Amino acid sequence: MRVVHLGAVAMASALFVGVSGSSAQAQTICFAFQDLETEFWVAGHKAITTTLEEKGVRVIERNGNEDANRQLEQVRDCIAQGVDGVIIIPQDGESAVTIVKESQENDVPIAVFNRPPSDLSRGLVVVADNETIAQQAVEFMAQKAIARFEVTGEKATPLIMVGDLGDPNAVGRRDGFFNVMEKYPQYFNDPIEVSTEWDAATALANLEAAVTANPDVDFLFTSSDFLFPTIRSVLEPRGKWLPAGQEGHVIMGGLDGDATACQLIKDGFVTATGVQDLFFEAEAAMDAILTAIDAGETQPNQVIEDPGFALTAANLDVREMDMWGCVLLAEGFLDQ
Amino acid sequence: MSTIESGSAPAQVGSKGWASPVRRVLLSEYFVLYLTIVYFLILLPFLPTLSNPQNLSNVLSNMWPLLAVAVGQTLVLTIAGIDLSQGSVIGLTSVVGAALIATAASSDVLSNSVLWGLVITEQGGLFAGKSWAVPAGIVAMLLVGALIGLINGIAVALLRMPPFMVTLVGLIAFGAFAIFLTQSENIRNLPDAYIALGKGDIVSVYLGEQSTPQIPRRQIYSFITYPMIISITLAVFAHFLLSRTMFGRHVYAVGANRRAAEISGVPAKRIIIQVFVFSAVCATIGGILFSARLEAGRPTLGEGTFLLDVIGATVIGGTSLFGGKGKIVWTFFGVLFFVLLSNTLNLMNLSSFHIDMVKGSVILAAALLDVTRRRLLAGGLA
Repeated sequence: MRVVHLGAVAMASALFVGVSGSSAQAQTICFAFQDLETEFWVAGHKAITTTLEEKGVRVIERNGNEDANRQLEQVRDCIAQGVDGVIIIPQDGESAVTIVKESQENDVPIAVFNRPPSDLSRGLVVVADNETIAQQAVEFMAQKAIARFEVTGEKATPLIMVGDLGDPNAVGRRDGFFNVMEKYPQYFNDPIEVSTEWDAATALANLEAAVTANPDVDFLFTSSDFLFPTIRSVLEPRGKWLPAGQEGHVIMGGLDGDATACQLIKDGFVTATGVQDLFFEAEAAMDAILTAIDAGETQPNQVIEDPGFALTAANLDVREMDMWGCVLLAEGFLDQ
Repeated sequence: MSTIESGSAPAQVGSKGWASPVRRVLLSEYFVLYLTIVYFLILLPFLPTLSNPQNLSNVLSNMWPLLAVAVGQTLVLTIAGIDLSQGSVIGLTSVVGAALIATAASSDVLSNSVLWGLVITEQGGLFAGKSWAVPAGIVAMLLVGALIGLINGIAVALLRMPPFMVTLVGLIAFGAFAIFLTQSENIRNLPDAYIALGKGDIVSVYLGEQSTPQIPRRQIYSFITYPMIISITLAVFAHFLLSRTMFGRHVYAVGANRRAAEISGVPAKRIIIQVFVFSAVCATIGGILFSARLEAGRPTLGEGTFLLDVIGATVIGGTSLFGGKGKIVWTFFGVLFFVLLSNTLNLMNLSSFHIDMVKGSVILAAALLDVTRRRLLAGGLA
């Protein structure tokens, strides 16, 4: 690449650019998110924007509307506006790599919230340990299935609703599920995988087909809690949407920890859900980016892990308010 | 027989002595360029970042892939057709190219793909490591794109099916096929030479004195880039085709009145097929630029509101939805205006929903303007 120095036009350019130059102002953060389709993202968006504004930080919001190219262009526009830092919820792990590189090459620190880049070596990456969290939730579900096996002598027929495998979160959740399945092969038939691509309509169509082909499914793990209403719409007409204790109950679990899952655990329909600590993740992303800005670091790289936990029917009493969805539920989120 | 309007409207208007300056501007083939300049100047005091060199660099960067695709759409609209399948061509060809040239792949992500083990493995695509990988991959992409265009063209020209229906089916079917090939996964690890096609600089500009040993990247602005060269070359070629060749005359003739053109000896069927092939090839080139800038083959590239951008930019430029009228230079202005519009809406910090609503309104206004211009022309020539 050839760089041409245009010193002679510098003054004219400076005049032309004029007021766009930075001055002693409050910090400006560009918050570029891919969409706000699920409770998790809505709550995450609110936590980040509210907290940043409370700290006196100006927030420029950009909604990529599930278009990776648009999100890249939006982040470039933000950089041109002279933002001090960028927080993104990327469309997927691959586009995250490209956007992180773009931002860092322009000397703008960037933090990636919850959905990690495929390459974790660059950027401030705040991510839940999806594999461990999923494993904890599925382990609790498996114990319920084993208890049932000891009564009936019948293996459970497990089904997993897999997210978009271009998203490392989805890969981790799937791995956590299969770790448990491989641990107890004597209690489970071969798992059925249903692709959702993180899309409710795709999930609905594929789950309908899977349950029709395998009506004996009695163990279901969804890689995201936002699909519980979809699952209900498939299971209820088939008489399989039943609370624990009733004949034909499907042992169900998920991951995210949203308000719907919290309500369903209380009602006995869902056995466990893996919980990402949304508030911790939002706080960690903001602290990391603001610290980097204050320190003048333009290319900070760090992986901040959210250990998470599993909220189950057994620990609901003691850990309920550690789950962000239960907090929102208590605030009347589902009544809005 | 209908008049073939190939952009000579102002002369016709002038000959009829239309005095109204508004009419003259409205009917000028540079109307959108004037509009773009006025729009830029009006917003500049309110959005000073607009003239920031980095922002201008962004505007240009966003323009090139869209221009490549819009050039193909221009020809299709000029024959009174429409090509909705361009989005799926972009997605499918980006996947095909990436699967062939990727330097590595993850079995965790792609093992469910039908391409896994056949075309792509953990060691990369079929062409991985070969010196000719990138050109060969691009040739393969162009062939796939051209094949889709051929199918569209045959259906429209020989089977006389409506272009809207044929290409809508193409949009759905080829888009689904792209998703099927990778099971919706993206293919990463593209060679650097390929990525350079989407974001590589040939000449960059630094404005100011060099006071530090190393100039911060943020202060170096892309000026002449590979995507710029590729898109402008394509646009110049298409302009030459339309304005300087018999093929171009035939395109206008078919668009103005296919039956009359056929009676006059124009090989309308062949022209229609060639135009659809050209459109798909342009979409493929756009796909190369998009996938290279995003550094991945993505089956979902070209989905969403992308077609709104392509058709919108082309129509805003002045290419008529009724056929028989279109110019590449108009499309260039249309794309410039459309990209500037998107950029300014972003700088105004509007939400994506508002941005799409404004874009839709502008396209509607452009379509209305097209109708108005036709009426003015018809009235002036009557």
